[in-house]
Amino acid sequence: MGLFNKKKVIVPVIPAESQDVKVRCTSCGRLIDYDALKKNLKVCPHCGYHFRMSAAERIALLTDKGSFKEIGSPISSVDSLHFRDTVSYAERLKKLRDTIGLPNAVLTGTGKIDGVLTSIGVFAFEFISGTLGSATGEKLTELFEFAGKNDLPAIVVFSSAGERIQEGIYSLMQVAKVIQAIEDYKKSGGFFISVLTNPVLGGPAVIAMGGDVIVAEAGSYVGVSGPRVSEQVMKRALPKEAQKVELLQKKGFVDIVVTRFQLKETLGSILKFYRRWSL
Amino acid sequence: MKTLPFEKPIEILYKELKRRESKGYALMGLDELVEKQIEEVYKHITPYDIVLVARHPDRPQPQDYIEKLFTNFTELHGDRSGEDDASIIGGTAFFNGNPVMVIGTRKGHDVKETLRYHSGMVKPSGFRKIARLTRLASDTLHIPIITLVDTPGAMVSAETEVNGQVSAIYSAISALLDANVPVISVITGEGESLAALSLTISDRLLMLKYAFFAVLSPEAASSVLFKNLDKKREIAKELHITADELLGMNIIDRIIEEPAGAAHRFPDIVMKNVKEALAEELEFVSKEKIDVLKRKRREKIRKAGVYSE
Repeated sequence: MGLFNKKKVIVPVIPAESQDVKVRCTSCGRLIDYDALKKNLKVCPHCGYHFRMSAAERIALLTDKGSFKEIGSPISSVDSLHFRDTVSYAERLKKLRDTIGLPNAVLTGTGKIDGVLTSIGVFAFEFISGTLGSATGEKLTELFEFAGKNDLPAIVVFSSAGERIQEGIYSLMQVAKVIQAIEDYKKSGGFFISVLTNPVLGGPAVIAMGGDVIVAEAGSYVGVSGPRVSEQVMKRALPKEAQKVELLQKKGFVDIVVTRFQLKETLGSILKFYRRWSL
Repeated sequence: MKTLPFEKPIEILYKELKRRESKGYALMGLDELVEKQIEEVYKHITPYDIVLVARHPDRPQPQDYIEKLFTNFTELHGDRSGEDDASIIGGTAFFNGNPVMVIGTRKGHDVKETLRYHSGMVKPSGFRKIARLTRLASDTLHIPIITLVDTPGAMVSAETEVNGQVSAIYSAISALLDANVPVISVITGEGESLAALSLTISDRLLMLKYAFFAVLSPEAASSVLFKNLDKKREIAKELHITADELLGMNIIDRIIEEPAGAAHRFPDIVMKNVKEALAEELEFVSKEKIDVLKRKRREKIRKAGVYSE
């Protein structure tokens, strides 16, 4: 009996090839047909739990069909410290390039949202939990520089477990680097919309707070660090509720909380106000 | 004094010599023998040992440097949003006769102090205080800023999360990035994660020999990568957190020397070294035009990181 009662939780970030995979919802525990889940924008049809999306899925969700164009040169993460945890970082990176085909944890480009041209960056959680390494920091910085030069609004969709530990202090420096780019961009008249999805932790959460408008996907968690680190290192439990965007909205740190179904239209309607007067 | 695990050979020798002395042996050069042992032990110091040295309760902390090296210190309190974070100490003072804004973290040495300053874990109100004092120095008083860093990081609790910890960190970082006055930072002990970053955005970043600077503590890194704390020693090595390594990586600009045995044994020597280094650096940045300094500060941050194109 025990064997059957055991909940097996599968959270596929990358679209599975097989047609008849069943997924158990992380939140309500019910079995969902994977195809049905995908058709429902990876939102549980029973309880509304938002499963993670890959960067490519996110782009498809938010930008008008066929409008997305990547910008800049491909910049790859490198194992600058010869870091080793369970496997070497170099091996980890090679494997990721072979499997998911991304050189770093962010996809940046331009695209239209409800007809409005914007620059957009999307964190790829499938790339080492969307952690912020040097290559990712450089791509984000270039995104804001590009948006400034081309007089475009900037949208960044965040989903990240924090800094890329395998890049040590270089990773921490990216937080300052990206904030500098954001501040320059905003001073030049730019308009930055942060989109928080589940989860956004550490440095990326700090960066996200630079948004002129901060939009969050329902049920996302945003904060300094995750519950396990807090419990093991700080020796005290961190109630998950404290990092929930619905609460952070009440406390004044998030402008809008919407479900995935309303996300594109919400961004589209905000974008329409940008420089409306000067058009 | 608390003896750190790797310092055991020093204590053993010292006790043995004292025992012999008490039995009436006339011992020549006792101090010299102990000194040699200290040197020997510190020659083989590992990165995680350095973490322990940086956390030694008797190691001088920013508030001690402020007391000893600065004069006329006027502490300024509060974030103007409802709280004063005791883990951040800041205010106007004179250093070598020069007016400066000094901002430091504060951990405390004993249980009572540690409780009062919550071990130097910075709250949102602390980051807002950093931002406020930075702007005061930069935009109003036009005086250089000296930051002294010794913190286990930003506090993580239900209270700090709902009070906008990440947003407060952003405000501290952006204030220092934008400062129109010279900024000199010294990492005196622990330099951990976003809290350390928010106080090290500077024109000159100095670090004591037995301080460390890390993206997150070796314990937290072990917790994230291995789901437990068992690998903290190995991870401390992998992370490249020592002053020697960081100087080689161009993250810091200068190492302030500490004798073998470190600042918890020789606080006066280290105080003097910090004073000399700060005086030189302050003179150096004061000669530079602010737009030159700022351009260099910005370029250094823009170029941070290693990747391939």
